[in-house]
Amino acid sequence: MYLKSLNLRHFRNYAEQSVNFTAAKTIILGDNAQGKSNLIEAVEILSALKSHRTSRDRELIHSSQTSAQIVGNLDRLDSNLELSITLRANGRRTVALNGLTQRRQLDFLGKLNMVQFSSLDLDLVRGGPDCRRSWIDGLLVQLEPIYAHILQQYNHILRQRNARLKTLKAGVQNTSGDLVIDDLALWDAQLAIAGSRVIRRRDRVIQRLLPFAQHWHEAISGKSEQLQINYKPNVSGDTDLNNLGQSTPEAIQSQFLDKIREKRTIELYQGTTLVGPHRDDIEFTVNETIARQYGSQGQQRTLVLALKLAELKLIEDVIGEPPILLLDDVLAELDLHRQNQLLDAIQDRFQTLITTTHLGSFDAQWLNSAQILHIKAGQLSTTP
Amino acid sequence: MYTRPLARLIEHFQHLPGVGPKTAQRLALHILKRPEAEVAALAQALIDAKKQVGTCSVCGHLSADPLCDICSSPKRDNGIICVVSDSRDLIALEKTREYKGKYHVLGGLISPIDGIGPEQLNIKALVQRVSKQDAREVIMAIAPSVEGETTTLYVAHLIKPFTKVTRIAFGLPMGGDLEYADEVTLARALEGRRELE
Ligand SMILES: Nc1ncnc2c1ncn2[C@@H]1O[C@H](COP(=O)(O)OP(=O)(O)O)[C@@H](O)[C@H]1O
Ligand SMILES: [Mg+2]
Ligand SMILES: [Zn+2]
Repeated sequence: MYLKSLNLRHFRNYAEQSVNFTAAKTIILGDNAQGKSNLIEAVEILSALKSHRTSRDRELIHSSQTSAQIVGNLDRLDSNLELSITLRANGRRTVALNGLTQRRQLDFLGKLNMVQFSSLDLDLVRGGPDCRRSWIDGLLVQLEPIYAHILQQYNHILRQRNARLKTLKAGVQNTSGDLVIDDLALWDAQLAIAGSRVIRRRDRVIQRLLPFAQHWHEAISGKSEQLQINYKPNVSGDTDLNNLGQSTPEAIQSQFLDKIREKRTIELYQGTTLVGPHRDDIEFTVNETIARQYGSQGQQRTLVLALKLAELKLIEDVIGEPPILLLDDVLAELDLHRQNQLLDAIQDRFQTLITTTHLGSFDAQWLNSAQILHIKAGQLSTTP
Repeated sequence: MYTRPLARLIEHFQHLPGVGPKTAQRLALHILKRPEAEVAALAQALIDAKKQVGTCSVCGHLSADPLCDICSSPKRDNGIICVVSDSRDLIALEKTREYKGKYHVLGGLISPIDGIGPEQLNIKALVQRVSKQDAREVIMAIAPSVEGETTTLYVAHLIKPFTKVTRIAFGLPMGGDLEYADEVTLARALEGRRELE
């Protein structure tokens, strides 16, 4: 797919800005704090309806304004789409496809597919489990947008159950006397149903991603090092869930409920939910050593690059056309060997937006035929 | 900008659901233009409604009398009770003219986040009613949100020992309210109810 143009109105530090992307590769060149990442963020929002930098729309709107707009014109194999989103200071949003306002935001998701790669992505290896969960969830939403609803539903039940546990912890008694039945059990059941939907999908996507990631990891490292990605669902405890993929939803739900029963006393004591996919983790190992502990920064970079390339290919495989690649500040951090690996992988099939402060460290091939845009204080131009 | 009494009126309007500053101003200016008798009638209607409308002692629906029109109607089937979350949903179902049984209004949904547990809802009266009134069937007509689902399961669990419990199967818009479902959808849903496990 190809993003032909982007229009920003009062988004972040932009006033009114239109930009046409005229080549498969666009390099956005500028000093720090000029709006490079903001532009990437705008594309991310068109794709995922959220930004990894903030959850408050207020911050996305120019500080002197009360609303902002992002409009993108996208060519897909089967259709041309105008994607537009209006953000308001009060948090209310309007999304439209080809000028038609969509009542459900879900219908807007998954139209623009992208893979984002920034220097922050080293956190996939080094950061906490929450970094890996939000990574895999983001990928899932692109592959099956309904997952956004499933996850939201799970989190909603989780909040209700936590509130219920908190009142139980505080010793608030059920005062309906003879009518007492265990309403916590009803939340347990709902958590298990919604939670197993999340678990099954996370497991499935990791299984599908793995061969791509292994292929690229081997190609980039140039060695026969074996990359493994192990999904660690919290409900599985220490048992081996190699065959999670073959488990029925009912089997996962019953394991979920067993685990809840096991943790019941501690949960009541702590007043919060300790069991479920909100505590999942994903483990990367290379030659059976956990990647976080293993290896230099360079080796960790190789791993993250392999994961990002795997995402590209998996999305292409599932969607049936190449997604857009967003490289924020990261290309200059890769050595020439890794830059070339990346270039080989994307060729001209994947539209790529690249931000950088300097062109110096780029392999010359990257500059050939690339469109170069200069940015200063929220203004883009084709000349310095 | 506004003289005192006008500002107070606008502020009160703004507290109403769905009314923003602009609408509040429009309503207030409109009121000022009307004859005093009409304004007095409006004020009286507000006070009367507040003073006189309570809830039906049997089903919990809004009613000025101790027994609402539906509960006191001899034409309605005593053997079927339809359980809804609030009076808005009851009114939506009544508009379909499909349903000839009685209702029970819970007055909300179980939602620990909002501090609403089963004991805050009109559930105890329902159980007593079902056990006494020998109902043939209780229909759960609660939108399938997270809270709606929990409430349905909770109530069904309590009532099952006494009678058959069914639920209406709506293909409601996601996160949808009963109120928004159109009448045709609701009428069809009433026909297609299925028994709760
Ligand atoms: N809501 C906003 N209103 C105005 N300016 C903003 C807003 N949000 C961020 N900025 C400005 O945007 C700049 C950062 O842009 P960014 O794209 O992150 O920089 P970089 O070019 O280094 O990637 C900062 O100068 C910041 O003050
Ligand atoms: Mg930046
Ligand atoms: Zn009544």
